Amino acid sequence: MTGLFEHIDVGHELQPLRLTLSSEQVRAYAQAANMPGGRFFSDEAARQEGLPGQIVPGNMSMALFSRLLAESLPGMSIKHLSATFRAPVRPGQPIVVHGVVIEKHCTDRGDLVECDLVVENADGERWVTGTATVQLAAGPTATAREP
Amino acid sequence: MALDFDRSILGTEFDHSVHPAVRQTDIDAYAATVGETVAAPGLAPPTYVVSLRTRHFLPPNMPNLGQVGFDAGKDIDFGVPIRVGDTLTSSSTIHDIYEKTGRSGSMRFIVLRTVVTNQRSEQVAVIDQKMMFR
Repeated sequence: MTGLFEHIDVGHELQPLRLTLSSEQVRAYAQAANMPGGRFFSDEAARQEGLPGQIVPGNMSMALFSRLLAESLPGMSIKHLSATFRAPVRPGQPIVVHGVVIEKHCTDRGDLVECDLVVENADGERWVTGTATVQLAAGPTATAREP
Repeated sequence: MALDFDRSILGTEFDHSVHPAVRQTDIDAYAATVGETVAAPGLAPPTYVVSLRTRHFLPPNMPNLGQVGFDAGKDIDFGVPIRVGDTLTSSSTIHDIYEKTGRSGSMRFIVLRTVVTNQRSEQVAVIDQKMMFR
């Protein structure tokens, strides 16, 4: 019986998410995530804080990393997730959330893979970078989605 | 500005919060905003843990690190998943304070560590949040 782990090699690219977050989506996230900062709710409030306009919370970028992993590696569970916020992500701009498997490990804690993760804009500028350690589902039912 | 502070504040708890029981409606609202589907009914997406609102975001005795603070990054170790009905407790400490000098000048960082446990004292997450000051 083989599982997802056997079918994924180092270099496997995760199914990218291509999306444009709306101002309303960002507000909804900030509200649901209990993030009261005005910078997440309107251009006006953000400008008062010296920013060019409304920005996407860093936590929302991490949530998109989590969605990317869940959709690309069904049944996995995230053990570790990190992100570096290199530049503000703005609503209304097309972004791509993507990742690649960089390591595989069989451990006594299960089959683990390490992934590099990125949120970038249409010009390939990396706004958020991250890494994840995920435990893959055992058994034959899980199938990785191809990009 | 020289980075000079009382190092005894490192590791000292500055917030201890017990959060209201997790509701399915809270999980659904959170997941819907990022289009995330939950792994199983009653389970929260992993990053739901960052939605916990502590009483004090920053320590009251925080050293003066500069005027403008930015969220520079986050590092989360996940333990057991969050389930509907869980009552979560968070404990926050200053984990580290350090200075870096880059092309744009001197930057100071504070790392706030929050440990989240559930009502069974199981570890749900350890969250390190890095704030940058200029």
